[in-house]
Amino acid sequence: MDWQAARISFLLAALSAALLLPVGLALARWLATTDNRFRALVEALLILPLLLPPTVVGFYMLSLFGQNTPVGAWLAQSLGLQLVFSFEGLLLASLLINVPFMVQPIQRAFAGVAPSVREAAWVSGMSTWRTFTTIELPLIWPGLVGGMVLTAAHTLGEFGVVLMLGGAIPGQTQTLSIAIYDRVQAFDDAAAHSMAAILVVCSLGALVAVLGLQHRFTSAKSSSSAPTP
Amino acid sequence: MSATLSLSLHCDAPIALAAEFDCASGELVALVGPSGSGKTTLLRAIAGLHRPARMQGFIRVGNAVWFDSELHISISPQERCAGLVFQNYALFPHLSAIENIAVCAYSTWSKSEKQAKSRALLARLGLHGLEQRLPHQLSGGQQQRLALARALMRVMPPGDLARPTDSTTTARPALLLLDEPFSAVDAPLRQMLYHELAQLHASLALPILLVTHDLAEARRLADRVVILDAGRSLQSGPPERVIRSPRNARVAQLVGIHNHFAGQFFTAENNAADPGVRQPTASPPSATPPLGSLRWGSLRLRVLDKGKIANDTAVTWVLAGDLLEVRATSQVEAQEFNQVECRLSEMLPLGEICVCKLVALRSGCQLGSVGAHSDEAGGWAPDDTLTLNVSTALLRQLQIVQGGTLCLCIPSAAVHIMPLR
Repeated sequence: MDWQAARISFLLAALSAALLLPVGLALARWLATTDNRFRALVEALLILPLLLPPTVVGFYMLSLFGQNTPVGAWLAQSLGLQLVFSFEGLLLASLLINVPFMVQPIQRAFAGVAPSVREAAWVSGMSTWRTFTTIELPLIWPGLVGGMVLTAAHTLGEFGVVLMLGGAIPGQTQTLSIAIYDRVQAFDDAAAHSMAAILVVCSLGALVAVLGLQHRFTSAKSSSSAPTP
Repeated sequence: MSATLSLSLHCDAPIALAAEFDCASGELVALVGPSGSGKTTLLRAIAGLHRPARMQGFIRVGNAVWFDSELHISISPQERCAGLVFQNYALFPHLSAIENIAVCAYSTWSKSEKQAKSRALLARLGLHGLEQRLPHQLSGGQQQRLALARALMRVMPPGDLARPTDSTTTARPALLLLDEPFSAVDAPLRQMLYHELAQLHASLALPILLVTHDLAEARRLADRVVILDAGRSLQSGPPERVIRSPRNARVAQLVGIHNHFAGQFFTAENNAADPGVRQPTASPPSATPPLGSLRWGSLRLRVLDKGKIANDTAVTWVLAGDLLEVRATSQVEAQEFNQVECRLSEMLPLGEICVCKLVALRSGCQLGSVGAHSDEAGGWAPDDTLTLNVSTALLRQLQIVQGGTLCLCIPSAAVHIMPLR
């Protein structure tokens, strides 16, 4: 059992979920309510990381942020930031590829709020912000929890990007999923088993939590939307 | 404070609108039209929820300008003081009944003021004791009342509970908008809610707009109706007048008049050739209008010539059912009456009344010589069918049975003539 790798994995998962939450919330609300003509393009870009092999994302990030590239050189010189083979780089990659996991559940939750409810709030004198905090947020919170749980679980399981960009440096960029790969290569099946079990339990737990929450929420909403004479 | 709503809106896209009407304080105006006639769009435009860039015109409530395309004013829904009852109520599903109302209260009120006011409103609408229920725990009728309570909270004068001397919060021009509020409740409950709305209407000094597709509902509740078709206001006026004298055939069709027919109108001057129609020469000119005539198939009916329609014009005409009389045989001839012999082709007994379908046979009933008469040459009767609600007791008393004949007495004033379009 590689505790360093576990610490890096869980820290990466927690930070990704926490940092993506405000971004995902803003994007999801915009997507759920806008009729902007660029909406389809934005939606496609957000889903793209789901379809591309993680190695493609990792490769592009390497080519963009490597120390021999202009962007990488500028970041290193002016901000002292090294994004390749570092935890910060892993975090940035994790944020980018997890956008769909955060946005989609929240967007679905927003779409489930009837437009007339939002309009009723406006007509009742509530500002857009107050409508958001008083009416929309309480109605979409299962989507928020869903987005965060899925993002964290997906981060724990990410392999390709992490390996390409992080380089599997123990104590810095080696996550659980890479450590498992390492242990299997070294014929240390016992360690691989215990780490794999942790990931299975975490992912299963997360999925059960999300699905259970969504089920409870949809059944509560369907009973509230149909007026009973 | 009286605040009249006056409105003139014109828009081509995305939804065509061409509506002009006003609604005085304390008046209930019903916007009536079929599905897709733009009623709800119009209501949303007034509430500020539908604000297309190319909309022209104005919406004013008292001295407040909510929209004016020339002055480039279009204030937000939050700034318009409009209590809107949505068709599906749009209650906040996660808030209790009292919270649903309290969130709309003035932010200047203290928490206890908001609670007290909300509680009072719930009690006023018969929801006492249900303060803590969530919307889905309320029945359809209760949800409707809660939606109404929320709208009323919005239009409440803020000074009601607050310090009466507070000049900054004196009554703002407000109005109440009801979007088909009765469409989701069953018939017995609807009757009760009608009654409640009528009471509320009497106690509120603000303009009320009711959107409905049901003319009977409008007739029962509204002081005036505005007939809408494809976003266009076709006619407005007291419901009885619109129903009795629709401006054109489309209005007649929209207000659900069964008895509208095609005919040919002849003015009073051109009526001399018609031996059946004598002009009321003795009467002073200011009294009833002269009598023109209407050719309906082979029949000629005496009708009022109000001087609005040219001679020999193809027209649509409607019959005001409440002015018609059914008799077993013709009576003493009177100048203002047409007597038409009809066959009772179909009858549908509905308890106290009976829906009768009548086919006109000839005019004049058994007298034939005077009164409205049929063209001797033609001899064909119109193949239109008249639909009439007749008291079942009267039919029994007159011993009229299906397939039998009766004499229908049509006063000139019961015939309303209008241009084809």
